[in-house]
Amino acid sequence: MANVETLVIDCLDKPTRDINNLIRQAADDGVPAVEILNTRARHNIGVGILKPIHLIYRGHVGYYTVGLCDGVTAEIHGSSGWGVGDNLLAGEVVVEGNAASSAAPSIRGGSIVVKGNAGPRAGIYLKSGDLTVGGDAGYMSGFMMQNGRMIVCGNAAKGLGDSMYQGQIWLGGKAEEMGSGVTEADAEPGELDAVLETLERHQIKAPKAFRKLQSDRSLWNFNKHDFAAWKDAL
Amino acid sequence: MSSAFERPPAYSGIWHPDAIEEIQEKAELGRYQIRGQATKRHNLPSFDDLVFTPAGLSRMPLEGYRERCDTEVVIGEGRVSRPLVLERPIMIAGMSFGALSVNAKRALGIAATRCGISTCTGEGGMHPEEREHSSKLVMQYLPSRYGMNPYDLKKADMIEIGAGQGAKPGTGGVLLGLKMSEEVAKMRDLPMGVDQRSGCRHPDWMGADDLYMKLEQIREVTNYEVPISIKVGAARIANDVRIACKADVDAIVFDGMEGGTAASPTIQLDHAGIPTIAAIAEAVEALHDMGKQDEIKLIVGGGIKNGADAAKAIALGADVVYLGTAPIIALNCHAPIYIEDYERLGTTPYECQHCHTGLCPVGITTQLPKLMARLDVDEAADRVTNFLNAMTMEIQLFARSCGKNKVADLDPNDMRSLTQDVAMMTGIPMVGLNGRQPWWTKF
Repeated sequence: MANVETLVIDCLDKPTRDINNLIRQAADDGVPAVEILNTRARHNIGVGILKPIHLIYRGHVGYYTVGLCDGVTAEIHGSSGWGVGDNLLAGEVVVEGNAASSAAPSIRGGSIVVKGNAGPRAGIYLKSGDLTVGGDAGYMSGFMMQNGRMIVCGNAAKGLGDSMYQGQIWLGGKAEEMGSGVTEADAEPGELDAVLETLERHQIKAPKAFRKLQSDRSLWNFNKHDFAAWKDAL
Repeated sequence: MSSAFERPPAYSGIWHPDAIEEIQEKAELGRYQIRGQATKRHNLPSFDDLVFTPAGLSRMPLEGYRERCDTEVVIGEGRVSRPLVLERPIMIAGMSFGALSVNAKRALGIAATRCGISTCTGEGGMHPEEREHSSKLVMQYLPSRYGMNPYDLKKADMIEIGAGQGAKPGTGGVLLGLKMSEEVAKMRDLPMGVDQRSGCRHPDWMGADDLYMKLEQIREVTNYEVPISIKVGAARIANDVRIACKADVDAIVFDGMEGGTAASPTIQLDHAGIPTIAAIAEAVEALHDMGKQDEIKLIVGGGIKNGADAAKAIALGADVVYLGTAPIIALNCHAPIYIEDYERLGTTPYECQHCHTGLCPVGITTQLPKLMARLDVDEAADRVTNFLNAMTMEIQLFARSCGKNKVADLDPNDMRSLTQDVAMMTGIPMVGLNGRQPWWTKF
């Protein structure tokens, strides 16, 4: 496959294991890109890929697409199921449609971009890297975020950033209810420009203004005088 | 001199000194109490309520100290390309780097390797020293995903999806900030000094259907080479078994309420989950109901302290026993050395449950270099090896005495119950009845 510019894989008659093996083999052979057809919301297509390759998904994808990968870039021309980009170490995943629950869970690097809306728990346990949501984000998004940056251009449902340890959430719309231990902070020089540059690069319309949210560190250590926050911590 | 007519204590049975002390401590702290080790309950049904009924005239024993008695267990045989072969029906349970010092991890790894059994990473990622010293290493895949990455998953010999633990079922791990070192913080992507309360629910799956897909993902990443188990705190056993079977795991781990911990809310240790012996009985029945008893291995842990407990668990239907606290004690936990440091913690050897403080007097549950240095890795590894060898011989003694040349052939008919509670729970007949119903049930 060494001379192939783009390998085409039709998922229609192939088991998941064969599809992933073909992608891994292509990455081993230095094939730059794989176009994946008839995805039909299949789960676990393109997981455990540890060499750089570009994946083009033509259609909706199911759970854990580009999960547990390192150095992979992907464009998903449809919507994604749960856990898109799960535990990504490096690379970039762009979802042209919406993402179901738990987009970018516990990613440790790289970037996940959801151009539409993201379901509940987007950016949960985010450890590093970026999650960008062009639309709204569901409840408990950014829950227990450990670091990294989450951009939500639209509104966020209840519990945004609850119990986050570190990192930043940039919110363009309104939060139905802020999570425990979250506070608004002033942007440092250059931070907003970096957010806007990310949106521009992905042709996502920026909202009129952003609020920067971060941990107030009140939940880092137990404080008996701040019982209300602990009692309601999700 | 004690008298047969000693006056009963003057304090109330409800407002016992322990209850008073607990209330006053909460009044001071403003939070629930946290401690290590395990439940303090003394009244749980236990393996001590069962006895073996070895061979006599009706069945021939094997020569107790000589004849071969096979102890091997294979997890994932015929299901994955690299099944986990255990030379003994024992695994070292998941205990994190963070909860334990790296020296403790090294020593456990060396001992387990000598004995042909596995250790387990616990939460917090795979420490390179642990991988180096453990020839068979299980990697836990936990809700927090601390230190998780596909490279380490590929290095593991089995993956254990953690969905709870016996000491605090339905609750995540606790690692207090005062116990965190820079290395622990870095491996977990956490800031130094935070009181870490891990998530208890996985971020990207919820129910039975999701779990099946999560298993498929991990099998894809590990190329279907190694077995996958799921560990649950023993509570809603039958339904949990059904879901695990649907997800097509290679093994199910039930951790009874006697299970150990380095830090847990005290109230949960004593009031959540069900005892190990009850968990086995329910799990075995559920596996039979699903027709999976020959395919899916049953691993059980929680309070197993010697070969008798292990042999009884196996006779009830478990394939492997999980040991956590026992090998920690073999390392030197509770050893009557450095007495002044126990006293400084307000405790004594044998009573110490201060793993959560990080000030372990014997250097096991600490990250402080000065205390860690107190655990000599080679000596500690020898002690654990000796303990595991002794325990294996004890298991074999019971198997041979019941006429079995394989430990796995021990079965419920090899035992009788000493108490009605355990007879009802396990279905093992009461002693003295020869399997009959009591005479009075006829009337």
